[in-house]
Amino acid sequence: MSDGQIVVSGLTKQYKRVRAVDGLSVVVEPGRVTGFLGPNGAGKTTTLRMLLNLVTPTAGTATIGGVRYADLDQPLRHVGAVLEASSAHKGRTGRNHLRVICAAAGFPARRADEVLDLVGLAPAAKRKFKGYSLGMRQRLGIAAAMLGNPRVLILDEPANGLDPEGIRWMRDLLRALADQGRTIFVSSHLLSEMELLAHDVIIIAAGRLVAQGPVEQVISGMAGGGVRVRVRTPQPEKLMAELGSAATAQPGEDGALLVTGVDAPAIGAAALRASVELHELVADRPDLERVFLELTAGKAAIR
Amino acid sequence: MTTTTAAPPTLGRPGPAPLRLMRSELLKIITTNAWWLLMIGALALLALAFLVNAIGADFAFNQPTPEGIPAEDRAAFEATRNEVYQAANLYTSGQFFGLMFVMLLGIVLMTSEFFHQTATATFLTTPHRTAVVLAKLAVAALCGAVLWALTTALTVPATAVFLQRYDMPSHLGDWPVQRAIMLNLLAYAIWGMFGVSLGVLLRSQIGATVTAVALYLIGTAAVQIILTILEQQLGWDWVSNIQYALPAVASALMVTGTDLPGEPAWWVGGLVLVAYVVVAGGLGVLINRRRDVS
Repeated sequence: MSDGQIVVSGLTKQYKRVRAVDGLSVVVEPGRVTGFLGPNGAGKTTTLRMLLNLVTPTAGTATIGGVRYADLDQPLRHVGAVLEASSAHKGRTGRNHLRVICAAAGFPARRADEVLDLVGLAPAAKRKFKGYSLGMRQRLGIAAAMLGNPRVLILDEPANGLDPEGIRWMRDLLRALADQGRTIFVSSHLLSEMELLAHDVIIIAAGRLVAQGPVEQVISGMAGGGVRVRVRTPQPEKLMAELGSAATAQPGEDGALLVTGVDAPAIGAAALRASVELHELVADRPDLERVFLELTAGKAAIR
Repeated sequence: MTTTTAAPPTLGRPGPAPLRLMRSELLKIITTNAWWLLMIGALALLALAFLVNAIGADFAFNQPTPEGIPAEDRAAFEATRNEVYQAANLYTSGQFFGLMFVMLLGIVLMTSEFFHQTATATFLTTPHRTAVVLAKLAVAALCGAVLWALTTALTVPATAVFLQRYDMPSHLGDWPVQRAIMLNLLAYAIWGMFGVSLGVLLRSQIGATVTAVALYLIGTAAVQIILTILEQQLGWDWVSNIQYALPAVASALMVTGTDLPGEPAWWVGGLVLVAYVVVAGGLGVLINRRRDVS
């Protein structure tokens, strides 16, 4: 496995009545954080589990660095995965949970302590899993995923149950790992979080691909191509006359003007030339949340 | 708390996969509580079983054969008075419940993967699921062997002391006794594997445990009673032989030191047990191979 690129091709999972994933084809690039977005029930978890050989696809293939997960020689050295928060024996200590994995993977037992340090869980290493908070469980999951120092990291809703400090920690860690050239593939329904974390996003709904690409591109692409600028001025007609025919204006909230076709610096310059008073000049960047809701609207999450 | 790994960690060269997996499964057992709870249960019932067997042996040695019973029953009665038979029975005391606890350990070893959702971590580490189940079978057999060693280490001196009170030799040099003790080891190992197989088939921890214990304790007795009634009412002699198809009866048959009249030979019991493990284990492996883990 050379590069750590994830390629999903025509992936489909048909349960008795529900087609959880429907002909999904996406590519996840190394050295970047890729957000995997969709409403609950969109098929994110099923896709990740098929990628990891835990669920058998009805059709299609998923490879990591060109190899199916099941065919990887010593998979933990290539791929780390954090799938569900509660995935350790309740009566086993965090450290022993990791040592069990080390034994099966053939890693030295001290590797367990190293990854506990990495995720800041060393003080709770000898406490039983049932006493862990949700945030500690997520950290233990990340520790397990990092045991083999993998090039590819796959995380299913890792921000679930984390406090703001934990989310910030996770964001910094994943960004740093991506900067080292690793592939970070992270699913979430917390869209605002993805906007801060991800370089690329893949959006699915009802098991189908809705959009994929760099975050900025997906956002601007869905916002109708242009950036809107919110302007507040007592002399809107004078300003629009100065801007010319390239700009179009729509009335916004509280008497604000939503201008498209020109960017904020151009509007500022025009206002200066025409001696128009400006009370507000803001590039109204559509957020991922709104784009996401527009993209997935009408596709029922519960099927 | 650091956010990055400065230097790539040294992971070393992994050992052979079967040994790695067995070590991991053994760690799973000793890092949780089930094993010592089951062991205490097994040892407590071993003490009880030895007491019952000792009373039975005392009765057999001291009571005369009752008059006026059919020749067939008479022969069976005489056979139980055989010193070697009683010695073998005492040396393998605690088998009935010991086997049940080994089976329970095997069930827990498999079903806790689903109960505690550790199957994900296990199968991510080893996508070759059949290897995981085989490692569990081996480790369960190993645990059975350990419990056998423990119980035998207790029953051997206890039996020798008991026989001495009747001025009888220990009979440890007799082949039927040695054979019974060795076959007892086989029974412990097989029942551990049997538990793992059951666990793969019935994934629910509580479901598998309750089913296994109910079948073991009540099912065996119930079938034996039904078969006895059938035999007596219908006069079909062969009907009672069906009971040897029950795993618990088969393993009891396997460890009898001497062949009692009217019972199949000991190796029939062994074959029945091995057949159960092969069928249940094979079926479990096949099902587990394609089953979705979520």
